[in-house]
Amino acid sequence: MEQRLANTWHMTINEKKFIESALSKNIRVDGRSPVDYRQLTIKFGREDGSSEVQLGETHVIGLVSGQIVQPYRDRPNEGTLAIFTEFSPMADPAFEPGRPGEFAIELGRLIDRGLRESRAVDMESLCIVAGKSVWAIRVDLHILDNGGNLIDTANIAALAALLTYRKPECTLGGENGQDVVVHDPEVREPLPLIIHHMPVAVTFAFFNEGDAMVIDPTHKEEAIMGGRMTATLNSNGDVCAVQKAGGDGVSLSVITHCLRLAALKAVDITSKIKNAVDSYNTARALRKVKRHNALVAPDITVPDSVMKGNQIGQLAEHQAQKFKEESTKTFDTETVVGIPKETVLFNKKNINFIRKDSDSFIGGPSNWDPYSQSIPPTFVRSSQIFPGLHSSS
Amino acid sequence: MDGQLSAPTQATSLFDQTVIPGDIIVDLPSVANLRVGSGLRQDCFELLAMKVGTLRYKKPNKYWLESSHKRYDPSVEDTILGIVVGRNSENFLVDIKSSSLALLPVVAFEGGTKKNIPKLEIGSLLYVRVVKANHGTNPELSCTDASGKAAQFGPLKEGYMFDSSTGLARMLLSTPTCPVLQAFDLQRFKIVIGLNGRIWVNASTPSMVVLISNAIMASEFLSASQQANMVKELTDQLQTRCSVR
Repeated sequence: MEQRLANTWHMTINEKKFIESALSKNIRVDGRSPVDYRQLTIKFGREDGSSEVQLGETHVIGLVSGQIVQPYRDRPNEGTLAIFTEFSPMADPAFEPGRPGEFAIELGRLIDRGLRESRAVDMESLCIVAGKSVWAIRVDLHILDNGGNLIDTANIAALAALLTYRKPECTLGGENGQDVVVHDPEVREPLPLIIHHMPVAVTFAFFNEGDAMVIDPTHKEEAIMGGRMTATLNSNGDVCAVQKAGGDGVSLSVITHCLRLAALKAVDITSKIKNAVDSYNTARALRKVKRHNALVAPDITVPDSVMKGNQIGQLAEHQAQKFKEESTKTFDTETVVGIPKETVLFNKKNINFIRKDSDSFIGGPSNWDPYSQSIPPTFVRSSQIFPGLHSSS
Repeated sequence: MDGQLSAPTQATSLFDQTVIPGDIIVDLPSVANLRVGSGLRQDCFELLAMKVGTLRYKKPNKYWLESSHKRYDPSVEDTILGIVVGRNSENFLVDIKSSSLALLPVVAFEGGTKKNIPKLEIGSLLYVRVVKANHGTNPELSCTDASGKAAQFGPLKEGYMFDSSTGLARMLLSTPTCPVLQAFDLQRFKIVIGLNGRIWVNASTPSMVVLISNAIMASEFLSASQQANMVKELTDQLQTRCSVR
């Protein structure tokens, strides 16, 4: 009993009274106005589908992984999406190790509802063979530090991780043509998930029996708030989910006001996530360009074909642009997404050629072609020295 | 105790330097008597650092480590801020950010007797002094100074309390006055700093309290001039906001 008291966080009467009295004058203890969000930082790991989100002092890591499983009987042509939360006692001494607490379950379900019920992730594109094998996408959310407003932070972490996740490409092959072949990411570029829109959770806290309302409550504000409401909206202003579990009652006008505010914040947060994801994709493409460059550079003697630094940057942007297009358009089985038809190496019609010639192809990213858009004559000449491209034409 | 004792040669280079666990501070046979503070440990004939921190030395023979943590390691005669979390017949149980709860005897107040026990609610904030800090037992606190006078100790009313690292608290308490405090008009607010990394602030208006507390929290890793600039900027911001309203 005493040990538990020593390990929990305590709030003084002084703090409680001060926060309440300051809020009645529209002052928050961290200097924000009641409708301000804290600073949002989104970072990504080196692996696809890992994100790290910081909102003020709150810190959450999101990890997405995929597995091929048998689909549920009632939905034979849909993949699955599951959210798992991990509340470590390191984040907050109030979190107990082992069994997930009430709040951990609520958080997981709330994010799950926002993503699933609004059909944000396209489930049918996760199907490989109807009734036999589909992708099961798993989102793990690790809470590293609890500075308040875990719901919004975890939701952003889940979105950012889903947007950067790439599942390996699968085709049917084998002797009977029914076996699922998972292609090595080195050979075939993994595909991003299809995300139709981004449901962003915005949390409000109510104080003094609904008199005062703040957005994005801190840890201290959460400790003394009377009630909480989370609205999940996308940037178009569509309400995907609203959660108001117990606590102080609030009037309808306050709720509509909150929803209007939340719509504004959702637009803001969506653009922040998009920017972060775009810059991640640029950096990712840049990594690829460098690797390819190192592979072919020693063979090149024609000065025209040596890429300058800014050209590499443009290529990377171009590549990133392609990824964006990929994520918005649906998957076309005839062509490998993102590769112009005339330069497709791994087109289905050419598949025999690939099998035969795969030894001579030394592993570089297959669908990377810098000269596909507009090819200047000098480049055409120089392209003949690329052994891979030359043999394919 | 040798008053003229000069520091041993291999340690002089380490004074006011950062040391890491396992660093040998002093070879003991070279020194007669030592007074060892927190963060140091004797291992046979060596004095070793037990954590990362800055080594401090005070003439004639005092050695200790200063470090910045979120947790507080109690040591005797520190003045700290504690939160009452419970009580039994003998003691108030006080949270002081250390690994175990501290005990504040109900008679450890000025003129305190068994029949005259102050009423302290759970959640009250107290300015207290550490009396005993031994390993394996709960630290003991007192609300009086060594001579039994109240001397500013006791419950703090109103105001706002926030947490900081122990390093920031020590920085604020050091002399000359820390630039961030100097930048404010010291007459216009009250501040109590506990060495355990808790700071209590009170001023005439809530906005002033918020301003001071945020300036202090932001000042931990800033230089003197940066601190002054930051305070000036924050004050300007506050004024423009007030004038807009």
